[in-house]
Amino acid sequence: MAVRKFKTMVNPEKIKGDTRYGDLYIPHGKVRKRREWRGVGDTFYDYTRWLGIMLTLGKFMAKPRNIKFFFRYRWMANYLAVPMMVDRFTQGLRGEYLRMAHEEQDLIIIDVAKLLNTLARGDRRTGNDEEFSKINVLVDENEMTAVMMGFPNLKCTSRETPSTYVSVLLNQHAMEHYIDVAQEYGLPGDVCPMPEAEAGVSIDDDAPILGACAVQCNTTCDGSLLGNGVISERLEKEDGIPVFQLPAPLRHKEDDVQEYAAEEVRRAIKFIEEHTGHKWDWDYYFECAKRVNFATKCRNEWLDMNKTDYPQIFGGNLALYTETTYMAICGKVPEFETADKRLMKLAEKAYKKRKMAAPEYRHRAIVWGVQSHYYMDFLVWLLNCWGIVPLTDMLSCINTEMIADTDTPENREQAYYDMAMLTEEMIMRNRTHGGYKVLLDDLFEFVEEFNADMIILWEHITCKALDGMHGLFEDKARERGIPLIWVDHQLFDPRVISRQGVRDQVNQYMRTVMQEEPLDPSLEFLDDENAW
Amino acid sequence: MKDLKHLIYFEDLLQEANNELIGQAQKEGMKCIGYMCENVPEPLLNLPGCFSSRLRAPRTGSIDVGTYYLTSFLCEYSRAILERALEGGYNFLDGVITPDGCTMLNRCVENMDVLQAMGKDKKGFFFDYMEIPMKADYNGLNLYVLQCKNHILKPLAENYGIDTSDAAIRKAVDQHNKVCELIRAIGDFRKLDVPTITGYEYSVFCLASYVAPKHLIIDKLEETLEELKTRKPDAKPWFKARVEVVGSEVDDTDFIKLVEESGAFVCCDRFCYGSLPGRDPIYLNDEEDALTQLCGAYMYRGECPRYMDTVTMDGRRSYVDELAKEYKADGIIYQQMKFCDPWAYERMMGSHILRNRYDWPVLAVDRPYTIGSSGQMRTRVQAFLESIDIKKIQKEG
Repeated sequence: MAVRKFKTMVNPEKIKGDTRYGDLYIPHGKVRKRREWRGVGDTFYDYTRWLGIMLTLGKFMAKPRNIKFFFRYRWMANYLAVPMMVDRFTQGLRGEYLRMAHEEQDLIIIDVAKLLNTLARGDRRTGNDEEFSKINVLVDENEMTAVMMGFPNLKCTSRETPSTYVSVLLNQHAMEHYIDVAQEYGLPGDVCPMPEAEAGVSIDDDAPILGACAVQCNTTCDGSLLGNGVISERLEKEDGIPVFQLPAPLRHKEDDVQEYAAEEVRRAIKFIEEHTGHKWDWDYYFECAKRVNFATKCRNEWLDMNKTDYPQIFGGNLALYTETTYMAICGKVPEFETADKRLMKLAEKAYKKRKMAAPEYRHRAIVWGVQSHYYMDFLVWLLNCWGIVPLTDMLSCINTEMIADTDTPENREQAYYDMAMLTEEMIMRNRTHGGYKVLLDDLFEFVEEFNADMIILWEHITCKALDGMHGLFEDKARERGIPLIWVDHQLFDPRVISRQGVRDQVNQYMRTVMQEEPLDPSLEFLDDENAW
Repeated sequence: MKDLKHLIYFEDLLQEANNELIGQAQKEGMKCIGYMCENVPEPLLNLPGCFSSRLRAPRTGSIDVGTYYLTSFLCEYSRAILERALEGGYNFLDGVITPDGCTMLNRCVENMDVLQAMGKDKKGFFFDYMEIPMKADYNGLNLYVLQCKNHILKPLAENYGIDTSDAAIRKAVDQHNKVCELIRAIGDFRKLDVPTITGYEYSVFCLASYVAPKHLIIDKLEETLEELKTRKPDAKPWFKARVEVVGSEVDDTDFIKLVEESGAFVCCDRFCYGSLPGRDPIYLNDEEDALTQLCGAYMYRGECPRYMDTVTMDGRRSYVDELAKEYKADGIIYQQMKFCDPWAYERMMGSHILRNRYDWPVLAVDRPYTIGSSGQMRTRVQAFLESIDIKKIQKEG
């Protein structure tokens, strides 16, 4: 079968300012030589947003208890790198693309700052506000928070989001200490480093202590399920915080598991009510459900746009935002609905103008598998270095269905099934579990739907669910004549495969198999081993 | 000690996945259903007209093709099983049932399914997948029962006309109990101060009971039990210490042999394919339906680390402690097959808790699928036995 190839599209508009982005890196450096020059208008806009981020950080540090919090928890030091993270994600972006990126990321930063503030206030070691602590329900970082959609006066608080998940986005080396702690305690080095790092934080006693209770979920994999046991051992036995384990069925596409899942949701809600004294509020639930549906509608439209020649919200812009809105927010924060509307407006505007985000679009790729957290801006690199457009990634291919959002007796019953569905179809697990079809067959359906000519397959080397389909991915791509680039990585641990190690896999494939030259040669080899 | 009469016969049964008794039962017109996880209620695969065989890949050599499909990061058990399936080593099967118990075994069977590794030309052959509860409670039980109905009983009835009535299930449980009672009675000789059976010998009988049709081994197990009643032990115990082996799947009797050759006596087997609690008899009452009782028995005694509720997690560790006391163990070996995620965590937590909370000497090790000649493991076990000795001396002093 002939190899599929997309016709190269050349951007009629010249990219203003810098075009050799690799030149901005200082060898071995943590930060770059200078800020990116994007032309007068975009540079000024970007600078004002940078000031906004500094203001958010400054406000956080203005509270004495937060300073204490900053010095108590080792992972807090990573937050010094927030502005650099945004710079990495906005590399090469201009006009609407730049604005869309800031719209999303600045909001995420504000949301994480609020979360840190919550943790510092309730934490027994710092703020120690006991009354405030009682309105917090702890959840895992990778957990769908649908069961909190009916508690307007409770806080759904994840300790793992700021300690592990965000930290490693900010600083690629952030989790190495905690991974080592877990391994010193006896965990082998061949498990997924995400739950491993979370377990490490708990073993190291480096998680804030607060909350009326906790709801744990088996989230994405065997590692996550078992990692919960390490955390609950400390939570329940030492901190005295009761834990509810919410099991989400793995074969989530089957009808005969749904009643089980719905019943677990009912029990989780009852558990929260018992331990917080707060009652489930249906009005608030359906209000949140409307916002969930609006986010779903927007995401569906963005993905539809990405099926055309002029994709707009894609790559890092799509991936990071989806992870935040879908699970952590799940309709509970109205500001994200406002952001969705603004994003939609910007995307439509750019689409009408047939805007392109890079000088050339050479390949249209579906990015599949679990992306590396220490190199999440790899998607921006793909576009800038090789002209590969990451149309969508696996973690953004989530629920497309609407849930019941009007308050009727039938819908109140349906709501348990909707929450169960959202929980079962969390990001990642909706593909890594549920039978091979959702992981294997759906990929090749997306390739057709999005008119893609390439697959970038992240192989998170210790993700057993993905590794278990390795040979079948290869076989199917070969049968269909679709170039498939394996990109191995170790999720939270760049010591195993560095960022350059990740890039090399693409560089070698593009040069040897595709026989192409890079769009921006300065990005092909970067000495960013130490970079934030 | 004098050799047991049927030991070599049972050892021979373990040399091939397709052992001679499987062919014999199939000639009788019975269907052979393969499975790989302790969470599949075994009696349901042993209803009148069919029998179960828990899949192994004995005498595994190269697992290159399995590694191509599953990568080198999946456990060697899943890779070896897939390799064997692709080589045609399980063509004798009439169906495969797997629970989504652990990701690796699930993926292994999914690969077999997509690659049509077996059953292509076999009428009625099926692959089926089950959801297994993650908490042991009423909701989990409802799920278990429904899953067994839809993914075990239904395909067996529809594809092979197997009787799946309550009476048939009770009959299968009776046969299951017969084997379990024999195996456990044989295993009880391990409790003696000077035991009349070795851990290796016991593991051979126990493992055979998982892979061979049950009705064809009962007579030999009965004879073995009788033989053990009069078997004379060696004048002096041959071991330095008694150990309980705990952890993930062990279907390689050479591992037990290696531990014993290093100077230990494996007095207790708390691992998948072991007898505790895998060979606990299941006693049914007449009031409740058999299927619900059977599923309840499997769920509430489940020692699989995928059970995530605190009560069950704590129960797993206290069960290890109780067994160690019952079988008079001097120490505990927590073993985990390399790359097994569930047991990686359970080994870490279990070994710390057993050591710190229950005060047991614990050796925590990971190991490959087949390990008979590992010098490294031998050294670890020997060092562990020495440490037990030293602790004993310190206590006495």
